[in-house]
Parts: sequence; structure tokens; C-alpha cells
Amino acid sequence: MIAWLEQVTGGLWPYLVVIFFGFLPSEIWRWLAVFFGRGIDENSEILVWVRAVASALLAGVVAKLILTPSGALVAIPLVWRAGSLVAGVAGFYLARRSILAGVIAGEALLITAAVYFSG
Amino acid sequence: MPADPASDSPSVTWAAARDGIRDAAGLPALMLMASLVGVGGLVRDVGFPMGAGVLSTVLIWAAPGQMVLFGTIASGAALPAVAVAVSLSSVRFLPMTMALLPLLRRPGTPIWVLLLISHFVAITAWVHSMRVMPDMPPERRIPYFFGFANTVLVAAALATGAGYYLIGQLPAALAAGLLLTSPLFFLLNMVAAAKQPVDWLALGFGIGLAPFAIAIVPSGLDLLVEGLVGGTLAYLIHRFIKARRAKAGAP
Repeated sequence: MIAWLEQVTGGLWPYLVVIFFGFLPSEIWRWLAVFFGRGIDENSEILVWVRAVASALLAGVVAKLILTPSGALVAIPLVWRAGSLVAGVAGFYLARRSILAGVIAGEALLITAAVYFSG
Repeated sequence: MPADPASDSPSVTWAAARDGIRDAAGLPALMLMASLVGVGGLVRDVGFPMGAGVLSTVLIWAAPGQMVLFGTIASGAALPAVAVAVSLSSVRFLPMTMALLPLLRRPGTPIWVLLLISHFVAITAWVHSMRVMPDMPPERRIPYFFGFANTVLVAAALATGAGYYLIGQLPAALAAGLLLTSPLFFLLNMVAAAKQPVDWLALGFGIGLAPFAIAIVPSGLDLLVEGLVGGTLAYLIHRFIKARRAKAGAP
């Protein structure tokens, strides 16, 4: 298929792949939300549920990135990957709810572990 | 609340957009850059041109979706299967956009503006907006959102291009640190934004159910199932607590 695309489009096929197989399949959900959400009021009960589902999904994304890592994270044991998140949240609260402090605390622990485990 | 025509003046709009740019130009832009640098490196590994990577950031605007796109292409999957995998990874934009739009929309906001807003919905701008919008005067919200979202988008697009050339040269420990920035920053933003018990319940179920969802549900559908189950559980418990409070408070 890629060879065929290469021939038909010249060098443009990577851009077409991004548009038709990346952009459109993902953008469709945003557009659908605009149409589904048209009659919904800011304070309606169904929105509380929709928001809860969105939050649970995002938390799931975070967990999945830690549980099934990619690239250089693979070399670091799970305890340290998860521990870095815990250190980040601890740093956030210790520095009176500072997101920057949380990021620095989590990154410091992870990079230290990474130096130890991957040399 | 009656609309005040003076409050829609260009000066209010630009001031709000400037505030959005200013709030995005620090930590949010940096964190997004760190995660898109990795996507740039992946684009290069797959053998795509740098421009296609930058285009994917601007158009798909979802690092996980971009990872899926280039990752499945690298694995040799057929293009229709690639599209399905990308689409499944982006289902979260449906509830996210539905939850955000009522905060931004005002009577008479044209549909094309809503569609344009929806394109910029991604984790960073979403979590930030859900936190700040409720306390912001309604006429400032849309310009603020565009200021914020465009700033992080431009920063992320630049980082994708830079990552294309840089990622291979980084020491492994730094590369691992870059990969941690997305989950860490998303989590901290969610913790900072959580106000009501239902927020904490959704966050807790989302993380707590993840190992089971990954083990049981077919890959690609796991996050969707988990979000529906975790979010619904959080909502039901929230309803239960509310009902009990109402009963206890009744004379």
C-alpha cells in the first residue's frame, strides 16, 4: 500500500497518511462532541458523569504510560517509575501546591534512578 | 446575568488572550515540549520527514495518538488498522470536549468557533481550562483559551521539529526524564484541579483500575472501558453521597 502511495503522490504520502489516518480518525471525536453537547447546560447532571469519565480516562492514560512504558523508561523498574509520580505529588503538597516543585521532585528521583540503572 | 456590551470590547478580548498566552508560556509549554520531543524522535525512527511530524502535532494534537500512529506504522500494520488504533486512542476527546464546551460557549457563539475550540482540546489545555474557567468572567474565556492553546501548540510543534534532530543524541537518563514529563505533569494538574469528591474518585478509579484493564481488555480498548467503568463508578458514589447528605439534612 505504501509503495502504491509513493508512486501516486510523489513525496507527499507521509503528509497524506498523517491527515487521513491520523488527523481525521482522531478529530472526529472532537467534532462529535460539539454536536452531542449542543443542548447540554453547564450545570446539568449528565455533565458531572461526562466529566468523571473524562477524568478517569486521563488518569488511565497516566497509569498506562507508567505501567507499559516505552523507550528509555523501559530500563527503569516499575517501583521507581511509580515512585517518581508519588514523589511528584509529595513535592506538590510540600511546596504548598506548586506544580513546578512537583515536577522537579518527580524528575529528580527518576533521573537519579535512571543514572543508576542505565549507567 | 445580562450581557454587558462593553465587556465584549476588543480591549477585553485582547487582554484575555494575552493572559492566556502568559499563563501558557511557562511550565505548560515546557512540559508539552518535553513530551513532543519524543514524538519527533519517533517520527525520525519511522523514516517520515520532519514536516510530517510537525504536521501531526498541529493536526492530531495528541501525543498518545501520534505515538500510536507512528508506532503502528513502524510495526507494519495496514493503514486502515492504523486509523482504527489512532481513533481508539483519541476517544477521550469526546467526553473531554463535551465537558469543556459548556464552560466556554455563550449564547450566540457560532458553530465554527466551537469546532475550532474543539480542535485545541488536549490534556494540557483541558485540565488547565477546567481549573481556571469557572472563576473567569464568561466574556474572557474564549479569547483566553485561544491564547493559551495556541501558545502551547506552537511550542509543541517547534519541539517536534527539534526532537527529530536531537533525541538520538540525548543520554539515556535524560531521555527517560523526558518520557516521564507527560504522566507526571498530567497527574499533578489533575491533583491540582480536583475539588470535589467525584474528582478524586474518578482519579483514583482511573489509576486503580488501570492494571486490571490492561490485563483483561484487548489493547486499544482498555482505556475506553476503564474510563467508562471508573468514571461511572465515581459518578454513582457521588450520587450516593449526595442522596445521603440530602436525607440527613432533611428536617
